Amino acid sequence: MSRQGLGPIACPREQEIVDLVASGHWSDGDGLRAHAADCAACAETLELARLLQADHKALCEKAPVPSAGAVWWRATIRARAEAARTAGQPITLLQGIAAATALGLFVALAGAWWRSIAPGGVWFERAGDLVSRSAAVPAALSLSLLVVLAACLILAPLAVYLATADFES
Amino acid sequence: MHEMTLSELSRLDAAASEADEVFQMDEDAFRLFYERTARPVWAYLARMTGDARQADDLLQEAYYRLLRAKATYDTDAHRRNYLFRIATNLVHDIRRRPRVDAVPMSDELDHADPRQTDAAAHAARRVDLSRAMALLKPRERELLWLAYAQGSSHQEIAATLRLKTSSIKALLFRARQRLAAVLRERES
Repeated sequence: MSRQGLGPIACPREQEIVDLVASGHWSDGDGLRAHAADCAACAETLELARLLQADHKALCEKAPVPSAGAVWWRATIRARAEAARTAGQPITLLQGIAAATALGLFVALAGAWWRSIAPGGVWFERAGDLVSRSAAVPAALSLSLLVVLAACLILAPLAVYLATADFES
Repeated sequence: MHEMTLSELSRLDAAASEADEVFQMDEDAFRLFYERTARPVWAYLARMTGDARQADDLLQEAYYRLLRAKATYDTDAHRRNYLFRIATNLVHDIRRRPRVDAVPMSDELDHADPRQTDAAAHAARRVDLSRAMALLKPRERELLWLAYAQGSSHQEIAATLRLKTSSIKALLFRARQRLAAVLRERES
């Protein structure tokens, strides 16, 4: 490959130059200094290494970094907030399920109540047929079912409250 | 100012102890590590993004991710390499987003007195370097900074940038040539 205009070729001693400049002992490296004076690649490496390290040093001196305590503290707060958010996700899901269950029970009980006080109507006659077919179910069982449904309706909001209440505060 | 109640204080204490459990190092170890690494990391972020304000934000984010990381480290040097890898990834993420309210490095940080010839020349050289670095590819900037500004070994650079150690020499050589060429163009 043509090297025209690409600058000097690589030299195996470049890394030594970078290491010596980084250690701050460039003035002690007589052998390397003499080599860099004759080697174009090392001269270029030396110039760039000095330039970049001077820039690095200046930036580090002026770097407006916050204190370690402040960074730790912000990290602590953020970790806690993330933990709370993660822990809250299943509770939110349960709340949704509980709310849907409660609503379903409410609609079912409201329908049953409406049937008991207002018999009649087209849609209700059809529903009545359905109920009459299930009339074979013993009355005691129907009553038990009703009691369980009512208990669920009462207990569901209570369970949601107990699951979500913050007892620490 | 809002005064904390006892219950708030106990909550904050609880938060601190929870953090100790969640984070992969305790507060004392973190302080020591931070004191040694924060300024070089900030300098790296500032030069890679070319924006001091972004460097401030990314610094906090980099340490947070390090604290939350599940990785284990044999030595402090490994942890340091991992921190620079996180910083590099953050810079890549930032690059994918449009830049807003960038604060140019040279405007904010170079306050050399123009009456002092040496200082002015030094500042001018740094501005040249900053602009030349901005013209390089991100990978070239990272390689040059890690190798020449920080004096990282090829193994360390490879670990930070997730490259093969054997390819660092050639990549670095090309990056060095690019920077030298850009600087020469600016001078001529």
